[in-house]
Amino acid sequence: MNAPALRRYAPFAASSLQSLLQYRSTFLINALTATTAVGVQVFLWRAVYAGRPGGLPGGYDLPRLTTYVLLAQVLGLTQASRVDEEVSGEVQRGDIAVSLLRPVSYPLSRFATGLPVSLTNAALVAVPVVALYALLLPLTTPTWGGMLLFAFSAALSLVIGFGVNLLVGLAGFVTTNIWGVRVVKDSVVAFFAGQVVPLSLMPGPLAAVARVLPFQGMVDGPLRLLLGRYDGAAGAAGILAVQFGWALALCALAALAWRGAVRRVEVLGG
Amino acid sequence: MSSPGPLATAARYARLTWHLSAVSVHRLTEYRMDFLLGAGGLVLRVVCQAAVVGMVFRQTPRIAGWNYHEVLFLLGFSLLPRGLDRMFTDQLWVMARKLVRNGDFFRYLIRPVHPLFALLSERFLYPDGFGELFTGAALTWYAADRLDLRLSAVQWLLLPLLVLCGTLILASVKTLFASLAFWTTNSFPALYAANQLGDFSGYPLDLYHPSLRWLLTWLLPYAFTAYVPATCLLFGRTGMLPWLFAVTAAAVTLALVVWHRGVDRYEMTGS
Repeated sequence: MNAPALRRYAPFAASSLQSLLQYRSTFLINALTATTAVGVQVFLWRAVYAGRPGGLPGGYDLPRLTTYVLLAQVLGLTQASRVDEEVSGEVQRGDIAVSLLRPVSYPLSRFATGLPVSLTNAALVAVPVVALYALLLPLTTPTWGGMLLFAFSAALSLVIGFGVNLLVGLAGFVTTNIWGVRVVKDSVVAFFAGQVVPLSLMPGPLAAVARVLPFQGMVDGPLRLLLGRYDGAAGAAGILAVQFGWALALCALAALAWRGAVRRVEVLGG
Repeated sequence: MSSPGPLATAARYARLTWHLSAVSVHRLTEYRMDFLLGAGGLVLRVVCQAAVVGMVFRQTPRIAGWNYHEVLFLLGFSLLPRGLDRMFTDQLWVMARKLVRNGDFFRYLIRPVHPLFALLSERFLYPDGFGELFTGAALTWYAADRLDLRLSAVQWLLLPLLVLCGTLILASVKTLFASLAFWTTNSFPALYAANQLGDFSGYPLDLYHPSLRWLLTWLLPYAFTAYVPATCLLFGRTGMLPWLFAVTAAAVTLALVVWHRGVDRYEMTGS
């Protein structure tokens, strides 16, 4: 993005950050949600390992699976940028009319408001939660190479997550029960992303479905790179390429959906 | 004029509940798509949860002494009180988030019914809860069938009572944390946090660290909404049953006391 564009969208990011820091209790909610979700999964899988001294298929020993489950929640948390909530809210209240008057691209301005939410959650929520579990449980320490690949991959996963959230938000043009759409998103998308169980532990047909969906690029892809669950450099490049492709495709889809939605928008009053 | 007796009052509230629930059913038929999304979303959430349980049991036949169908039974049973609670007390979420803050709460104080009833009645028979209730019932039924579970006559009689107690406990926890809004104006974070911990109750408590188990039994008594009733029906463990009734009574009392204290100190906005 060039300098004038950056200057145009920076205020969106700044005001989003300000309002975020006004409602600090959100961070506490997020931290507790992530801690609980990790706790349930970790206790469940520890019991599985207790009955299987030989470990699980797919090369996941207990510390590695714990790391996976923990970081899967962290990624999920980072992708929850409130874009879905805010877009659908604007549509329902009719505030979208004001946004339409602004001389900026709406999807881009939404990305600018969502990014600080993601980054702040990563810094203020994810770090303490990871630190807490690192104190309590044995985790796998990733390699430097793994961390570098993960950084790229996590950035792409943010874009994929943004695309999904924007599409969910735009569903507000079709239904008033956006809560229901979000429940679907939070369960189905999270499931096929590998946020609950790694794809390699899913039964064959289910894993096959998950692999052709875009969502695996949100959690399973980045964590396979971090934990070294891929075949050589080509395997790593493949994961990143697929993620990149889905990121582009979802953004294009969201842009199309936005155009279609704007054409049918009707707002009451002058 | 003498006030009506307790029986007449109960009958009046039952009639009102029936009538307001009928109104909700009308709303349901008006917004069919919304209902399908809400209820369908909750069904999908349960399906995903059950799928995780399935994947866990692909690796091992037993966890913490429970087999696959026993865990499914527990998961299904946990949804029955959850669904019922969601159908009748969903408005507490709205109250925790904004009704006290924006002053709208006064509306419930000027109606000729108990303020808590007035509040809850806004969303009686909230249709999204049907999704959880039906999947819960289906899951419980399927698991019981697979386990060849034969309930005794006493257990059959106990079943609705156990579901009712579970619902009352969930509703009490929700009322208690929503009432904190009278002091803090927005108790949504506290309510959400308390609700989140309920996620632990869909699995056998034997999995957890004893401190967590203690917390879920005596501090936030979610254990009595799923684990205690399910072990009673599955394994005939009745040792905790007296506690179940005591805890239900205590939870309801505490929630009502906190609610009344809160309503007493509520001040209307001046507008």
